[in-house]
Amino acid sequence: MTLVSRMIGNSFSHVLVCPLISRKKMSLKSERRGIHVDQSELLCKKGCGYYGNPAWQGFCSKCWREEYHKARQKQIQEDWELAERLQREEEEAFASSQSSQGAQSLTFSKFEEKKTNEKTRKVTTVKKFFSASSRVGSKKEIQEAKAPSPSINRQTSIETDRVSKEFIEFLKTFHKTGQEIYKQTKMFLEAMHYKRELSIEEQSECTQDFYQNVAEKMQTRGKVPSEKVEKIMDQIEKYIMTRLYKYVFCPETTDDEKKDLAIQKRIRALHWVTPQMLCVPVNEEIPEVSDMVVKAITDIIEMDSKRVPRDKLACITRCSKHIFNAIKITKNEPASADDFLPTLIYIVLKGNPPRLQSNIQYITRFCNPSRLMTGEDGYYFTNLCCAVAFIEKLDAQSLNLSQEDFDRYMSGQTSPRKQESESWSPDACLGVKQMYKNLDLLSQLNERQERIMNEAKKLEKDLIDWTDGIAKEVQDIVEKYPLEIKPAAQPLAAIDSENVENDKLPPPLQPQVYAG
Amino acid sequence: MALTVLSCSPRTLFCETLFNIASFLTKKLNIGGKRVNLAIWDTAGQERFHALGPIYYRDSNGAILVYDITDEDSFQKVKNWVKELRKMLGNEICLCIVGNKIDLEKERHVSIQEAESYAESVGAKHYHTSAKQNKGIEELFLDLCKRMIETAQVDERAKGNGSSQPGAARRGVQIIDDEPQAQSGGGGCCSSG
Repeated sequence: MTLVSRMIGNSFSHVLVCPLISRKKMSLKSERRGIHVDQSELLCKKGCGYYGNPAWQGFCSKCWREEYHKARQKQIQEDWELAERLQREEEEAFASSQSSQGAQSLTFSKFEEKKTNEKTRKVTTVKKFFSASSRVGSKKEIQEAKAPSPSINRQTSIETDRVSKEFIEFLKTFHKTGQEIYKQTKMFLEAMHYKRELSIEEQSECTQDFYQNVAEKMQTRGKVPSEKVEKIMDQIEKYIMTRLYKYVFCPETTDDEKKDLAIQKRIRALHWVTPQMLCVPVNEEIPEVSDMVVKAITDIIEMDSKRVPRDKLACITRCSKHIFNAIKITKNEPASADDFLPTLIYIVLKGNPPRLQSNIQYITRFCNPSRLMTGEDGYYFTNLCCAVAFIEKLDAQSLNLSQEDFDRYMSGQTSPRKQESESWSPDACLGVKQMYKNLDLLSQLNERQERIMNEAKKLEKDLIDWTDGIAKEVQDIVEKYPLEIKPAAQPLAAIDSENVENDKLPPPLQPQVYAG
Repeated sequence: MALTVLSCSPRTLFCETLFNIASFLTKKLNIGGKRVNLAIWDTAGQERFHALGPIYYRDSNGAILVYDITDEDSFQKVKNWVKELRKMLGNEICLCIVGNKIDLEKERHVSIQEAESYAESVGAKHYHTSAKQNKGIEELFLDLCKRMIETAQVDERAKGNGSSQPGAARRGVQIIDDEPQAQSGGGGCCSSG
């Protein structure tokens, strides 16, 4: 923060500044200028013949633009130099006078590094022959890229400053031993600065040697009790790793980044793996348990945001504790490693933590070995390594699947979840699950309604068809058997006329009398 | 020093007794006036995780291989583990072969002579324990620690003292547990550094 305020103060010393400062300051200036304008002529100060404007500090628009541009360039230049100087001063405050030269290049090193890396990527062999000229080129680029850089440096230096201050405060409690430690740490950091060109393994080896030497010296020469040694070692690790982080985390000389992307892709491809396949003894239907699972995932993802290996390990440990709790709630008994590892694998698969391999490599290379190999953190870290190794090598057999099923899931042709009646993911929270259920119900209702509508329409059509059909039938019949109304007289007459066929009938019986 | 335990699946009593509270525990031992912090690690023993074994034991100084005296199979698995460990870690690793369940002496299927002579032939030490009666376990750890410290010191001297290798400090011990239920022949790995 102090750096920021000092920079603004500096810009005030120039006459021609303003776009970078706040409105308030502008108004202050124009007041002062108000008097100035009264005394001077209204023409452009440059004497080009055009009228000037107080808002343009007495210049005409064209001259102002030129002046302003120049001034801004100058100011940027000066701000840059100031930032550089401050950085140098800061470095000097920490390092011995000898290192001031190194610190200067420290400011540029970031760009140099980037540039060199770019070069390396593009023309590895050419770079070897023309390394000198490529350096020059990189410097040119630095000057072009000046403007944004101070802020980056400032930001990192704020955190570094804070850690440094804390470290010095902490060491003060140890008086002479503290001084000795500070000296050693400084020397180590300086040495590391010159070892930046070395491979990451060599840098790691140096760091590990340093940890061991310091701890040994404290115990043998300083006669510091072992509990305190541990505390001091933690602080040393924090201090040096905050400073080295940007140079040694996921360095471009290694294929860490490639591995990060590979595992990320792998985890994405395995999105279909269910807790059942891994035999994870965690029931996420219990709200408390799903809460723990979410927390565990958050912790493992948070790991990437930490700079100090120990802080990263702390994230892993927190994640593991949540997992143990989740298992404990589900099973109602303490979890064993048999339960823990599958659950951790499941959490890693669900969380897909960023830069997983880089983080693991970084911790392995630069964490204090005593912590990594003996402590509780080390145990959980080893388990995380196992989880990653398992995910990398995972095959059909390790999920108890047939090879065909595994291949089909991997290729994305089908998903095991589709076969389940539930179409939502089993990991959603209760509210979301309820929502999905309701949605399901609604879609079912919708379907039924549609069916009813269809049926109704069909019925309507049937009815219309039926009436039409009947009408047609009737018509047909009517056409086929037209109703002929014969004159009524004839049949009546027939009834009344003499029987035509009377003669065919036997003669009517005649009554006969028998006298007896 | 630290100790890791590669356990088996399903859990055996040996592991259960060790890890009844958590899968990670520390034990403080006093050996020859030297205070030793033993960190004992539990590991997953399912067959599917067998391939991950080296991640746990690669930095170990010693291994405890536990078999069930009533189960011949578990003794065979011990032999497999010995082969694997010797292949991976050479002779630098202290091996302990432990016959567990001596409370079930009547049902013994692995003869003492056979076990002891085998142990001797591979340069390992043989112990008898009963996890159920909590017999012999404390002695086992104490003895193993002593041997590990000795081996580590011999190593250091052999390497020329002064340049303390960071790798040496990072080594540990294994326990391999092949009790009967352990279909996988899970390993117990105790690393003590």
